Amino acid sequence: MSWVRYTVPAAAILSAASPAYAVRYLSIEEAQKEAFPSATHFSEVQTGRVWKAEAAGKVVGFFVFDRVVGKHLFIDYAVALTPAGAVHKVEILEYRESYGGEIRSSSWLAQFAGKTSSSALKINGDIRNIAGATLSSTHVTEGVKRILAAYGNRLR
Amino acid sequence: MAIASDSIRRARPLLGTFVEIEIAGACRSDMDGAIDAAFDAMAQVHRLMSFHEPDSDVSRLNREAGLHPLAVHAWTFEVLDTAIELHRRSSGLFDVTIAPALQTLGLLPRLKDRPVPAPIAASADAIELLPDHKVRFRSTDVMIDLGGIAKGFAVDRAVAALRDFGVPGGMVNAGGDLRAFGVEPRAVHIRDPRDPGRSVCRIDVADEALASTARRVELFESREPGGSAVIDPGTQRPASRLDGVTIRAPSCMIADGLTKVAMISGTDAGQLLEFYRAGALLFSDGDVQITSDWYHRVHLAG
Repeated sequence: MSWVRYTVPAAAILSAASPAYAVRYLSIEEAQKEAFPSATHFSEVQTGRVWKAEAAGKVVGFFVFDRVVGKHLFIDYAVALTPAGAVHKVEILEYRESYGGEIRSSSWLAQFAGKTSSSALKINGDIRNIAGATLSSTHVTEGVKRILAAYGNRLR
Repeated sequence: MAIASDSIRRARPLLGTFVEIEIAGACRSDMDGAIDAAFDAMAQVHRLMSFHEPDSDVSRLNREAGLHPLAVHAWTFEVLDTAIELHRRSSGLFDVTIAPALQTLGLLPRLKDRPVPAPIAASADAIELLPDHKVRFRSTDVMIDLGGIAKGFAVDRAVAALRDFGVPGGMVNAGGDLRAFGVEPRAVHIRDPRDPGRSVCRIDVADEALASTARRVELFESREPGGSAVIDPGTQRPASRLDGVTIRAPSCMIADGLTKVAMISGTDAGQLLEFYRAGALLFSDGDVQITSDWYHRVHLAG
């Protein structure tokens, strides 16, 4: 096997689009329906955060929305809980990552305020797939644990 | 005939990373079922091959296979079989018995009631595969970690599950270990290992797998920049020759495994890559080296 060598010119590196990466997978409503297809009614137990899913007057589960913010990450996710408070499904709703510290500045965060499901955010919209070193999902895993601790026994 | 609908795209936290599945070309209810089956297959791989789960095949093997043969799931057996072949063909550079070195470096947790074994001499017969999916370790000091190959295998299982559902095309991406299937190529951007905020090149991927690894393992919390999770069995220390590699191969398990070898041996991995019909991108000090069979499909930025 022979090899071809390139030197990536510094200028090219600078002009390359920064792959700040964002995808919206599901709105809250879509995720609720996918988590509990049989449910006919979702009632808000805690505004914007916890919903009770019901089918024919019977509780089929709970739906908890949460968001984790890391140094370069901003992730909306949902945990669907069984009526007994066990995890039924964890689904990522929206994923954004960025570099250079924008995420920590309030003005960067403000662009997400009031965003509706119809205004899917796309930074460099043509970038759909990113490969590189493994992305840590530790923040979400910890978030799910937190949700279970907070709601696992309380929602009935 | 099924009515084709738009593509769907879902992501879940699995295998210690974010797994994204995107599929298209089948009817909506089939695609929903297929996505669930694909995520389930990956969760199954995690349950079988996690070093961290006490009931996984890997944990059972690490506790008992040095004492007596142990039956494992067909998938675990298949991964071990591939790992042993890769070990042999890479002259020992790919080595799943590296677990104690990972523990010493804090990359894997220490086990309760068990000291970290002293590193054993790399040996092709440390793991013995027996009939009926039984496995035996040469000694009680052998300890394995399939972290260098199982994620790729999980991606392959997910693709198989999607195909079983008749899904004609799509992509499964487990934190950078990915595989596309179907006729339509998918554009993938490769991060600069020295600066993950930048894209170094775009690669069009069709019916093949890509896996990447880099020295900078802490993308989001910089603890020790320059550290690598790829250990050179010769030195028992993190590989430091390259900044990062991306491998293209027919299967994601092979691509995943070959990233570890290429991180250690660089361009010396050429023959091994050829054997596995794989290509590579090696990153070091601003240089990119690409195998000659692949360079025309790699679009460098700028």
